[in-house]
Amino acid sequence: MLIELRGGRIIDPAHNRDGVGDLFIEDGRIIAAPEGRTPDEVYDVTGKIVMAGAVDMHSHIAGSNVTLARQLMPELPMLAAQGGQPIPASPASWGAYATGIRYAEMGYTTVIEPAMIPTHAIEAQVELASIPIIDVAGLVILGNDDYTLELLRDGRGGGDELKDYVAWTLHHSKAIGLKVINAGGSEAFKFNDRKFGLDDEVPDYGVSSRAIVEAMQTAVAGLGIPHPPHVHCNNLGIAGNVETAVATLEATQGLPIHFAHIQFYGYGDGGDRGFSSGAPGLMEAVNKHKNATVDVGQVMFGQTVTISGDILRQFDGRRAANPKKWAINQGEGNGTGVVPYHYKKKSFVNALQWAIGLEIFLMAEDPWRVLFSTDHPNGALFVRYPEIFHLLMDKDERARWLDDLPDAAREVSNLAEITRELTLSELAIITRAAPAKLMGLTDRGHLAPGAIADIAVYTEQKNKTAMFSAADLVFKSGSLVVRNGKVVSVTYGRCYHVEPGFDAQIEKRVKTFYDRYYGADPSWFGVTDAVTHRRDRFATIPMPR
Amino acid sequence: MAKAKAKARGREAELDSALERAADLLGRARFPIFGGLFTDIAGAAAALSLAETLGGVFDHASSAGLMRASKVMRETGATPASFGEVRNRADTVVVIGKGPLTRDPDLLDKLFPAKPGLPRPGDNKRELILLGADNTKTDNPKTPKGLRTTAIDGKSPLPELVALLAASLREGRFDLRDKALRTEIDETAARLRKSAFAVFVYDPAELEEPVLHTVLEMVRHLVLTTRAAILTTAASGNGDGVNLCFTWTCGLPVRTSFAGAVPQHDAWAYDTDRLLKSGEADALVWIDALAGESAVRPKGVSAVVLSANPGGAGKDDIVIEVASAAGDHDAALYLSPISGIGMVKAAKANKDKPTVAAALTRIAELIDERRAA
Repeated sequence: MLIELRGGRIIDPAHNRDGVGDLFIEDGRIIAAPEGRTPDEVYDVTGKIVMAGAVDMHSHIAGSNVTLARQLMPELPMLAAQGGQPIPASPASWGAYATGIRYAEMGYTTVIEPAMIPTHAIEAQVELASIPIIDVAGLVILGNDDYTLELLRDGRGGGDELKDYVAWTLHHSKAIGLKVINAGGSEAFKFNDRKFGLDDEVPDYGVSSRAIVEAMQTAVAGLGIPHPPHVHCNNLGIAGNVETAVATLEATQGLPIHFAHIQFYGYGDGGDRGFSSGAPGLMEAVNKHKNATVDVGQVMFGQTVTISGDILRQFDGRRAANPKKWAINQGEGNGTGVVPYHYKKKSFVNALQWAIGLEIFLMAEDPWRVLFSTDHPNGALFVRYPEIFHLLMDKDERARWLDDLPDAAREVSNLAEITRELTLSELAIITRAAPAKLMGLTDRGHLAPGAIADIAVYTEQKNKTAMFSAADLVFKSGSLVVRNGKVVSVTYGRCYHVEPGFDAQIEKRVKTFYDRYYGADPSWFGVTDAVTHRRDRFATIPMPR
Repeated sequence: MAKAKAKARGREAELDSALERAADLLGRARFPIFGGLFTDIAGAAAALSLAETLGGVFDHASSAGLMRASKVMRETGATPASFGEVRNRADTVVVIGKGPLTRDPDLLDKLFPAKPGLPRPGDNKRELILLGADNTKTDNPKTPKGLRTTAIDGKSPLPELVALLAASLREGRFDLRDKALRTEIDETAARLRKSAFAVFVYDPAELEEPVLHTVLEMVRHLVLTTRAAILTTAASGNGDGVNLCFTWTCGLPVRTSFAGAVPQHDAWAYDTDRLLKSGEADALVWIDALAGESAVRPKGVSAVVLSANPGGAGKDDIVIEVASAAGDHDAALYLSPISGIGMVKAAKANKDKPTVAAALTRIAELIDERRAA
């Protein structure tokens, strides 16, 4: 069936396009204007904004870590709704089904789950497959696991064995990339260390955080995996940690690297309260290191829950739990820490966190390298995205929010002086084109012929919160799934992953390792096509050579 | 599906006919229960979907312990460790009660393998403490050779033993006439305080809620200065797997009703036995389809039975013989060694019988067709 979207303002920054035109869809793809054919369906989108479906590159939506948080905090949606957040007051609102529905209504068509635990990859994948409409991909966590640390301790990290192990892990969990969370820090926590910096060494292994990150960068680059190591640095959330972030950036050896939710590393220790914005220094380093990309991890005020494989940090963060309960799951590799948190507008620290995130977005010289995220749900629930778009695109809206903040926070923030407003093209870069490109999902994030027909149509409004809360139309793989902000057809998408290839010897070695230390067989947690009972669920992405 | 057996009202029936009858009954039901739920993740997901469509209740036959553990989790949180972490790194393992060793007689061999494990914190020798585990009886598992083991039983009931240990751990003041027990408790508490990684192992089905809280309080006290955690015995019948699937879908544990506008969890109100006895529920779907395990069925109530071993079904049941998870077909199940959901290969693949998921999906389709007509 040939579908035409006629007369919309097409915003496709991947092709420097911002102008009125038509789009054609056939067999789930965008095609060039066909000559001499009459469309079977025409949607008149005159005056509307037409963008590619949005791609969320870092959102904790599935897996044993997220479900641990659901077990701890079933009341989260009710508390959030009571506080005025746009989420239905039902525990099911942060279940798998509701997640897909709400993402689609906002115009999102692809979401990356950034923290799959290798031994729980089946759980993550089964859960991801129960999320409707959106396509997904997962990042799998390594760097605190004993197999990696053993290789590095024994001086085998620079050779093919680590590369093979990384490739095997990606294959075994059907992941699109590698996540490294507080490299070495979670393992050190298991030895009762409670602080861990870039050059601290994991007890018994004698391997530093810096060495782990470097080894992973080298392995991933050597394998040709499109997405670079996705790194959650040491010292998250600590005053003065901007120095750690800058030092980690400096240590990247020029190899590609992605830093996750850097807002949480944008903290100086200046001022009377020992907490200040480190955004200028951080962004100077980010702007300088062209090999690095970041996502922001914007904070918004209200109730949420933090979920992280950084159990060292989460253990420390338990003291700020609100409500007063927490869960630390000490599992293989990183484990998971869950700590409920309420960001308060009247809190000096929270207000400054909010401002620092926006400063980072607005100080970015290259939006292709500073991408959108709230680290859902850590900084804010994903249902808050439209409000953040509004703040980024409207300096008056920012001023209104700033007026409500504590004087002390306003005084040490740089935000009031920033007049920049993101354009629709820039928003499309940070929410579509750049994340798709960075993940190696070359068939989306743009609107050129051949792209998957994931398209969101919005009515342009000054109130960007309203504009992006409810898309007029959303097409997923060419099928209309949302009309007037409501889902009209429930479909199920695909999961994308890499297949970098590895020497089969690694399978035997890993099997021996798991048998000896865990009494387990890796086949128990290996993701196969059959685990989800959905045909064609899994698809590989191209590996550039 | 052609060779699967089915019965309706005590008589042999074609599978299609039994599915039709099940759809008729459930389509008319006002408040059905989906119980038993000894099934894999796919079966649980299909049951959940149908329960939601029909406005019914979802409960698992082994949910008693899950309910306690999940309530305590919601109230104060938890500090679990994976089986692998405990096996490799715990220097002090306290097994509380009889449940863990009854459920898995090989547990101690698995937790204390002969070969050295991964690097672990501290330099203590590994040590086992059996608290009220009553390991002196001959039918209980032997402790691994060479492992220093302390068995504390005394004459006190288990909750009291746990409370005594908690009090001693905090070095609180309390009196105890049984001086020998007092010494054992104090020595154990001292050992815990100097542990580099202490773990309490228990079955939530065996301990009452206040005891669970006491154990977690011990962990919270210990983590102020060292590492500590809990390791719980998995519920039988893939109870943990079914509960996880339910939670990621609905944000709630099992014993949840879909009768209202939003799912509502209540461990007392939506207990299968209570709902059947009170007559609030007017239909029961009983699912019992796991290789090597069997759910204990409530008596005196007819049901739509999806079972891998339907021999004991009643004459008023609608019985659908289904494939057994991990017996007849590959199955995603909760696996204790990885402390999560993994895949188990079929012992002997058999495609003649429908899976629970396939049978329930077909019933759901038939109900949809009737409603659309």
